[in-house]
Amino acid sequence: MADTSPTSPAHQAGRTGAGRYAACAAAVAALFVLALLLPPALRDLPPAAVVPLADWTGDALNWFAREASIAGLPVSGITRAVASAAQWPIEALQVLLADGWAKGAGFNRVQIAPPLSWAGITMAAALLAWRISGRGLGLLTLGAGLYLALFGLWTSAMTTLASVLLCVIAALAIGLGIGIRAYRTPSVEPAVRAVLNVMQTVPIFSYLLPTLLLFGYGPSAALFATVVYALPPMVHATVLALRAVPAETLELAKMSGCSRHQTLWKVELPVAVPRLAIGLNQVVMMTLNMVIIASMIGAGGLGYDVLRALRRLDFGAGFEAGMGIVVLAVVLDRLTQTAARNRAQGRTGLWTRRDSLLALALLAVPTAASLAVPALAAWPKALTLTTAPFWNGAVSVINTHFYDALEAVRASVLIHVMNPLRDGLAALPWLAGVLALALAGWRLGGARLAGLLAGLSLFVVLTGYWQAAMGSVYLTLLAVLLALAVGMPFGIWAAGRPGLRHGIDLVLDTLQTLPTLVYLLPAVMLFRNGDFSALIAIASYAIAPAVRYAMAGMQHVPSERLEAAAMAGCSKWQSFVHVRLPAALPTLLLGVNQTVMMALSMLVIAALVGTRELGQDVFTALSRGETGPGIVAGLCVACIALSVDAILKSGASRAARHQGETHV
Amino acid sequence: MKTTFLATTAAAAALLASQAAAFEPESGETIKLMQADWTSMLVDTEILNIILSTYGYDVEKVIADDSARYPGFENGDLTIALETWQTTQDKAFNASVATGKVLDMGELGPQAREDWWYPAYMEEQCPGLPDWTALKDCAEAFSAPETAPKGRYLGAPVSWGGFDEERIEALDLPFEVVHAGTDAAMFAELKAAYERKAPIILWVYKPHWAPSVYEGSFVEFPAYEDACYSDPSWGVNPDMAYDCGKPQGWIKKMAWAEGEEIWPCAYEITRNFTMDADEVGQLVYEVDVEGRDVDEVAMEWATENESKWREWAACAAD
Amino acid sequence: MSDLHHRPAPADRPVVLSARSVWKVFGEDEAAFRARPGPNRAPAALERDGLVGAVQEASFDIARGEVFVIMGLSGSGKSTLLRCLTRLIEPTEGEILYHGEDILKLPEKPLAELRRTRMGMVFQHFALLPNRTVLGNIAFPLEVQGMARAEAEARARALVEVVGLSGREDRMPSQLSGGQQQRVGIARSLATDPEFWFLDEPFSALDPLIRADLQAEVLRLQREHQRTAIFVTHDLDEAIRLADRIAIMESGRIVQIGTAEDLVTRPATDYVRRFVAKVPPAKVIRVASLMSAEVMPDAVETVPAASTIAAVAPRLVAGSGPLAVTDASGLPVGCLDRQTALRTLAEGV
Ligand SMILES: Nc1ncnc2c1ncn2[C@@H]1O[C@H](COP(=O)(O)OP(=O)(O)OP(=O)(O)O)[C@@H](O)[C@H]1O
Ligand SMILES: [Mg+2]
Repeated sequence: MADTSPTSPAHQAGRTGAGRYAACAAAVAALFVLALLLPPALRDLPPAAVVPLADWTGDALNWFAREASIAGLPVSGITRAVASAAQWPIEALQVLLADGWAKGAGFNRVQIAPPLSWAGITMAAALLAWRISGRGLGLLTLGAGLYLALFGLWTSAMTTLASVLLCVIAALAIGLGIGIRAYRTPSVEPAVRAVLNVMQTVPIFSYLLPTLLLFGYGPSAALFATVVYALPPMVHATVLALRAVPAETLELAKMSGCSRHQTLWKVELPVAVPRLAIGLNQVVMMTLNMVIIASMIGAGGLGYDVLRALRRLDFGAGFEAGMGIVVLAVVLDRLTQTAARNRAQGRTGLWTRRDSLLALALLAVPTAASLAVPALAAWPKALTLTTAPFWNGAVSVINTHFYDALEAVRASVLIHVMNPLRDGLAALPWLAGVLALALAGWRLGGARLAGLLAGLSLFVVLTGYWQAAMGSVYLTLLAVLLALAVGMPFGIWAAGRPGLRHGIDLVLDTLQTLPTLVYLLPAVMLFRNGDFSALIAIASYAIAPAVRYAMAGMQHVPSERLEAAAMAGCSKWQSFVHVRLPAALPTLLLGVNQTVMMALSMLVIAALVGTRELGQDVFTALSRGETGPGIVAGLCVACIALSVDAILKSGASRAARHQGETHV
Repeated sequence: MKTTFLATTAAAAALLASQAAAFEPESGETIKLMQADWTSMLVDTEILNIILSTYGYDVEKVIADDSARYPGFENGDLTIALETWQTTQDKAFNASVATGKVLDMGELGPQAREDWWYPAYMEEQCPGLPDWTALKDCAEAFSAPETAPKGRYLGAPVSWGGFDEERIEALDLPFEVVHAGTDAAMFAELKAAYERKAPIILWVYKPHWAPSVYEGSFVEFPAYEDACYSDPSWGVNPDMAYDCGKPQGWIKKMAWAEGEEIWPCAYEITRNFTMDADEVGQLVYEVDVEGRDVDEVAMEWATENESKWREWAACAAD
Repeated sequence: MSDLHHRPAPADRPVVLSARSVWKVFGEDEAAFRARPGPNRAPAALERDGLVGAVQEASFDIARGEVFVIMGLSGSGKSTLLRCLTRLIEPTEGEILYHGEDILKLPEKPLAELRRTRMGMVFQHFALLPNRTVLGNIAFPLEVQGMARAEAEARARALVEVVGLSGREDRMPSQLSGGQQQRVGIARSLATDPEFWFLDEPFSALDPLIRADLQAEVLRLQREHQRTAIFVTHDLDEAIRLADRIAIMESGRIVQIGTAEDLVTRPATDYVRRFVAKVPPAKVIRVASLMSAEVMPDAVETVPAASTIAAVAPRLVAGSGPLAVTDASGLPVGCLDRQTALRTLAEGV
């Protein structure tokens, strides 16, 4: 990844730059040779030298969750109380949306009231969409509801919706709270940011166990894990949004004599809404992203349907349930975005009291009628649509007819590219790795960056995860290169075609919310278990930011510069190379950064097809119930992420400095 | 699904309301049934849920991991589990029972088996099978480009353990282990290979739907004994342990010891709860292959076998 | 600055706002600045220590109803000075007296109360709230005061009319032109009927025609209701048109305070001279400055003493002989020699 910087114009300065790089390369090569001559302890850390951080962490957490007490109250009591408090709204929503109200259980179960009818919810939601946005969104919502009902996904979808709604609200409220705090007290901001960065990059599986330990098994643990996962983008967005409120607007608040409270609620937040909406979008997406993982620890719903369908290798059904998640994501996202936009533009009065009454009627009438007409309570199973046989058949056809060709591709990539890289990195002595990173840091950002990178890599070394980390680096590196090689050119191409925008957005949203497992398992059928399938899965997930940022970067090239280039008689290609690309470079680098982050966050999922790296360590620790190793291996993933982030950030700021502008 | 479910419950409720109302559970506290993520346990746990709920117990199903369950059982976060497999949990289970905080509630019924497995069509390419020594000569038939000339053995997820690397070394088999990430990924590869009649050898366990849908057999390794895993001198390789097949064995029920005093009758029902291997296999088939709902399959079983489970619940009959 | 180049506030009206040796320095070590003895406060000394003296020792009085314009090149410290007066920026040193009370000593609450009730401000980039309608923006300061909604809206509606935006009450800011947006800004700043009116380059983002319109608007509003206004601009024409007195700033210091005429006829420094070089003297020199004290009781043609020479030019060229000069009440106060006046008119053409 560091190799993106030499392409930046900062380094086209001339021979001296090239010479310096040659010197650096020589230094690195020398390091390698030196490291090979060094005593073996500096190549592979002897087990005795490994710091047993994992054990300490595990013990500490166990102690905290089981024995610790705060002010006489046992921590476990507090957390359990919180968990059951959180359970209450989940159950209430669940009763309303999915299960209805029943008394007794087993053979004594008596349904007292049905859940809200699917027809009612669909129509009311479509009405809402139509009123606040227009016919397009109304029809989309209607279509989404019909899809969920007719494909037999309704009950699961409502279970998912119930927990997603709660998670989004909780993440929104907490994220806003922390964000406002961090914005107001600049001294806590760096600390908050550091914690968030780690939170965002530690794989979710790492904190599932601590969550279970603290909050017990069940849906509320899933809720907490999801909120933790979805929080960072909201906090970031809040801080950024509030910072972007113009100074004059704040002066207006002061000159009008606003109290702090009034300033916040009447001025800062309303003005910040459009940027807050970006955070909200991320929260919705990430929450739905978590659905499948949450279902592994007891949240049920669509994620569970996906898991179950895949366990019986019914890819088609898995795909349908997965698309159910996408449909929910898209509708929720578009609705919240529209609502935010309306608010920001002060468009009010779109939803009148009459609409409320109408919506209530739409909800109540089919629900009441569902007592007499069961089809309104649940779409009859006999009439359920399904496309599953088609998808299953398609996978089988590909498997039987194209397997040999695919296998040839897989084998040659594996043998000629992947395995050599893997083995090469595995042979890299840790000392050489640490020194090379420190050197790169020093060249790019001086002593501070060098120290940071050395510290992060030493953490990985000392906790005994160096080998595994090299496995992660190898997989991530290849996946990122693949995603960039496909995504960036595509994004650049698509940027010139605004007509494609809607379609591309939809595809990217789908890629980001369709549970990876859905395409991971067919990939396994075609490419077998192992690193190649993992590579495909990671790359297809990480491609979304590559495309998004390439498009954004290309679209924001100042038009005067393009005109200047045209006047200077540049050909299309020259204007691309000399004007567009340099101007878009900071954004593109940010895109690379995000692509890496996405790829890293997918490592744990890739572990599901049998990789051997940090993701697998985290996953194994989770399934063995070992808290300590799960967290420490997760922190090692975070170390990689933070290193890449630091390197790319300083690369980007160099590029931006060269451009004389601060992009994005 | 909802409608049939509603219909059955309503009918059953009307029928049974009077009888069930007669029994008053010993305690209103919630019984937490553990369920892990494989199908047989999902179904039998739901059946127990139906039975206990029918007698008025407050029951909750809690998802927990196979290996991570013991702390939960020792501190009462979990009350009853119907399946603990000797094949993977032997040591941990015995250790937990030894603490005195966990009860061994007897066997569920079916025997568990897990080991190397190959589809029937591979016998042509490797005639000596199922005897394990045949593998020494036909490794090439099982190879993939990246492992050739060694054979490729698809192992279970790393977290399941199983000592396959050690086994290969101890028995000097020319094979490499590739671990599947999950059980689904493992069987996905089997399905793909089976469709093409392509070579494959992998870890299969039962009760599971795969061995009933796909034709094939387990490799016959030297039979497992405790000494094989602990004593290097045991078996064909005098210098290494693990020179044998995998343990086969019981599937046991377990429970939180203190619960015995709180819900004695529920515990008795659990002790009486047994199923035979075919029955479990059929239930798993219904769910995994036919794609039916777990709750529905469980309720169907409960309706058909009502007299059976009412016998188990003799303590609640008066 | 000598007193010669510091015209005091008009004596006939009470002083309502004063700045006393106000300093604002930016930099790491702002606090230590206070301990510095005088000589160490020279610009070179400040620069050496990495401090920016954005406002240096500003002192002046402003009388009730006066329009006090602060002018200077970009970066000379105008905005900083204005914000010190409202305490949007905390001055490093000095006193800011409103009716003799130093607001730098006020705790937060009374300060907010003071701003809420007695100050209004117009911003360079309008600072409209994008989520509120025209009416909502204008009513905003009233809402903050806690006024009932109906009353606030009624007041806001009246102001919409005053600034000529009738019929656009329910538009969003994004649907308005720049000039219209600033009209909303002006209306909002006047919503609470403030005693002090602060305007920071309110028209510099607008094109010249609209700027002229809005200047006329400000003059009209001032005529109808005299407020004490502090107006920042870097446009000399604007200053001349609106100001009673103008303060010229150069790198943080006020180098001269005076009427437009003072600046043109008696510039304090070369900087000021260059600043006003393009101004035709006739546009700023008033009849009163050129007239002689002898009264001509029977003159037919009269000119007001307060007019500029340029304003009376048509009458200068139309006839011959001296003109009678009258004061605001129409009484003759002197006479204007036509030749002298015409010479002034010809200067700088
Ligand atoms: N927050 C700050 N920190 C450091 N220096 C500042 C700060 N604000 C203003 N300055 C400096 O103080 C000086 C005066 O700035 P000010 O904005 O008051 O100028 P101005 O006359 O209003 O200019 P303009 O016409 O461009 O608005 C400038 O040199 C500026 O760089
Ligand atoms: Mg300014």
